[in-house]
Parts: sequence; structure tokens; C-alpha cells
Amino acid sequence: MEFEEVIGLEIHIEMKTKTKMFSSSPARYGDMPNTNTSVYDLAFPGTMPTVNKEAVVKGIQVCNALHMSIDPLLRFDRKNYFYSDLPKGYQITQYFYPLGKDGYLEINTSTGKKRINIERLHMEEDTAKQLHAYDCTLIDYNRCGTPLIEIVSKPDLRSGDQAMSYIETIRSIVSFLDVSDGKMEEGSLRCDINVSVREKGSPAFGTKVEIKNLNSIANVGKALDYEFKRQVELLEKGEPILQETRRFDEAKRETIPMRSKTDSVDYKYYPEPNIVPIRLSQDFIKEAIDSSNELASSKYERYTANGLSDYDASVILSDPETSRYYDKIVSYGVSYKLAANWVNGDIQSVLNKDNLSISEFKLTPKQIADIIKLIDCGKINNKQAREIFATLIDNPSLSIDTLAAKYNEGMISSNDELTKIVNEVLDENSQSIADYKSGHDNALRYLMGQVMKKTQGKVNPKDANEVLLNELNRR
Amino acid sequence: MKEVSIKLLKETANSLMFDMSEEEYALLKGEFDTIQKQMSLISNLKGLDEVSPMTFPYDVEFTYLREDTPKEVESPEDALKNAKDVIENQIRIPKVIK
Repeated sequence: MEFEEVIGLEIHIEMKTKTKMFSSSPARYGDMPNTNTSVYDLAFPGTMPTVNKEAVVKGIQVCNALHMSIDPLLRFDRKNYFYSDLPKGYQITQYFYPLGKDGYLEINTSTGKKRINIERLHMEEDTAKQLHAYDCTLIDYNRCGTPLIEIVSKPDLRSGDQAMSYIETIRSIVSFLDVSDGKMEEGSLRCDINVSVREKGSPAFGTKVEIKNLNSIANVGKALDYEFKRQVELLEKGEPILQETRRFDEAKRETIPMRSKTDSVDYKYYPEPNIVPIRLSQDFIKEAIDSSNELASSKYERYTANGLSDYDASVILSDPETSRYYDKIVSYGVSYKLAANWVNGDIQSVLNKDNLSISEFKLTPKQIADIIKLIDCGKINNKQAREIFATLIDNPSLSIDTLAAKYNEGMISSNDELTKIVNEVLDENSQSIADYKSGHDNALRYLMGQVMKKTQGKVNPKDANEVLLNELNRR
Repeated sequence: MKEVSIKLLKETANSLMFDMSEEEYALLKGEFDTIQKQMSLISNLKGLDEVSPMTFPYDVEFTYLREDTPKEVESPEDALKNAKDVIENQIRIPKVIK
């Protein structure tokens, strides 16, 4: 009997806002514990929630990227539970009326593109970070109240590879929109899996198992591969699959039971009485959508349409910050291809050598664009550009024009002198002229090399090429 | 309507992991008695089946959204003042997972 895996994903994403979802205390990662809390986050009596406008804007942008219908009436609900990570005793979420519903996403699979339907996107608040030590739990309420979106897929995924591709696509969308940094290892993108197994072709679903505690995309694949094998073995032995929540044990590379369905909590959801429904105007929604950053898929089309190879475009798009840096370089009017050569070549080498990210790179996109322009107009060659680049890495404040000027000292600037030298070269290489006339492009390159040799490189290659072609055509 | 007894209140409180004094339970029981009496009076009104339940007393909508500008923040001293046990700025509690 052949089996198939049926997978649905719930992805929680921490939004990159300055303040929390329902209070104006800072939402910052990595600060000293319990330094970013307000009386509301700590549930002091009488404090009231206020909805973060930027979080709503970002939520709308993700809904739009996922082709969802957006509810213009913002409503929130209470999810009641008693636990140390939320002092209020409840989480404010959108249970009954999510911000977005009925969307989809196209993912790349081994057999081509596949559409994954998305059930809902809702906004809510994150909980405090709890550190479980050997004999105690330590609580940091800085994270408590950080804006979250939860994206719930339909059970359309059929393998660990597809699930990984889906998460990677969502991660790319929220990163390029600048809604979140999407870092699973830092907890800003977290994923719960619902998985069941059924006989291939059967319309009925098997018993659903939930898997939690997944901190990397690779672990999602590993957990699903293990779970598929485990459930198939049980079915083949005629044993039941228990409806339960399991967690992934990274060391053992297997899923381990956490709790059964009978332990599940009744959250007693009801409409949040402290937030009156908020009407979003169509203008507000349109403005949020119009101000969205360009997605990686759109950038890829733009890059390749402007001459980049699939490889170059993909390398630049592997990191949103790199693509933003690259876009700034080309915004100064330089060629996409030349800019890509610098970003993927010389700049990447410096970053790799010093173990830096592009945001820590010392040179501005304008400086790189200025260097490219100097090459493009023939004032410096590639070798000289690299020397200027290396000098700037050590002294970023130096003037590029001043550095380039030294390469122009002693340069042949007279057109008459250059024409004379070119003609001397042509007189000495009559066979190459004949070869060029009969269509051999190598001959032109050879002649150009001879001009550079005769001038000891003291000539603008662009000017030399132009004069050489003119003189060749006159013969 | 389910009867709200002292026993039920104690069970509910204990399931939420807190307890109160006998006086507090008696006070709370009295408040529930009043509420139930009022509910009973309302139930006698005619035509209630045609009235949809409401969450808010008035059917209104707002448009206000707060600007994303950091303002209020408690000092760690104030934030942690009520905590019984603090270590390195974190609140220490008995371990909550096995």
C-alpha cells in the first residue's frame, strides 16, 4: 500500500515594529531582560490596549503578498489561559475575524510550481520569553506583547521538502517586505506542523498529529520525514495513531510525545471587550499596499530582464539586505551586470574575509556606483578600480576622484598623439588588419593589446578602442 | 442557570491555581447571587429571542490606531518590584515544564 503525508503549517512571525502590538513600550530583540516593559505588558489593573498602526500596515502588506481578502473591520478576541508567559491571563488575538483569509502562495517543488492555499492570517501578541534552567524558570517580559502574525495554511503540502519550500517562501516574503527579519534561529519565525498520513488517493484525512519546537527549516524537513516513517509503520502494523502534540528532539532526530488530545486546553475565546472594532478605510488599506517593498520574485524578473544571469540574480536575492544594497547601486544609473559583478565578487570577498554582513560593509552604494562609472567611462581600468576599492576599504572617507586622478597622471590625453600611435601599430601589423577585415574579432583584440603595450597602459582603453576602430575602417 | 456555590468557586479558583479567604469566597458568592437574580429578571422580558447578543453596549466602530512611537517604559526596578525572586534582571519561578 502506498501512503502520502498531509501537512498543514501554522507560522508565527514577529513583526519588525518599534513598539508592541497593544502598548507603546519598545519591541526590541537582545536588550537586557525586563527593560522594555510597560504597565500594560505587565497587566497592571486598569491599563488598556491600543492597536499599533504600523503592525496593521505590515499585516495588510503580507495579506496582499499572499493574495488574501482583507477584512476592513479590525476585531480582536481573548484567548484565555493561565501561564507565567502572559501576566494578563489571556492573549489578545483574532480568533473569529482574521485580518486576511482565503489566500494562496506558489512554491517551487521538485516537479515544478505548486499552489498552496492559505486559510487565514491573524494578528496577535507574543508571550514573554521563558528560559527553563535545571531547577527553575527565568522570565523576561521584554518579548511580551511583541506584534505577531500567524499564517495558517490549508493541508495542501505533501512532503517535508514541500513544507521547507513553503516556509522558505514565506520567510522570503516577510523579509523582503521588511515586515520581519524571519530568523528561525532567533525565534522571529516559528513554525508548528499538523501532519497526518493516509493511503494515497484517499479523500479522507488520517489522525492529525501536531509537532512543535522546530527552530530551523532543516529541522522541519527532518521532523516530517521521521513522522511520516513513524505513522506509516504504525498503520502497516494495524496500530492506531494517537491524536497528540509531539516535539522534535534535535539530538535524537525524532519526534517525542508532549501531550495527548485529552490534555488540550479550552481557551474559551470571546470578543476582546477592551478594543472596540476598528474600521480601516479603503484609502488606508490601499496606502499600506502601495507602500509595500518589492518582493524577491518581482526583483528576480527585473534583474534577469536587465541582463543578470539566474545565478547572479539568485545570489543577490539570497539576502534582502544585499538586494537592497544592490538596488541602491543601480539606482545611481550604473549597469545591472557591472553592479552585480561588484556585489557578488569583490564586495562579497571582503564580507567573507571579515565575516561581515552587508549592513556592516563600510562603503556606501554610491561609492561603488562612482567606481563603476569611472570604469564605464574609461577613466580607470578594472585593475585600477580594485586598487581604489581596496584603498577605500581601509579609508572609506577618501575621495574617489582624488584616488582616480593619480591613474590619469602621464596619461595620453591628446587625440592626435593617440591616432599617431594607433597608426604605427597598424603599420606594423598588416596581417591583423586583413584578419579583422575578414571578420576575425580576435584580430581587433590583438591590435588593442599592441596599442596598450606601446603606450605602456597610459591610455584610456575606451578612447583607444574608438580611435583603433576609426583608423581600421579608414584603411 | 447553573447554581454558583462556594464549592464551585473554590474549584474554579484552584483550577486557576489561586485561593482566597472564606470571607472573599462569601463576598464573591454574594455578587454572583446578585448577578443571577438580575439575569433571572431579564430572562422574564418578552421578545428576547429576537435580540442578537452584543459584545459592546453600543454598536460603534472606531478608526483610531496608535502611531508606532516608543513612549512608555517601566524602569527595571519598578517592573520587578513585585517579583518575589529576581536573578540577573529575570523573574525566577519554579520550573514550569517537566
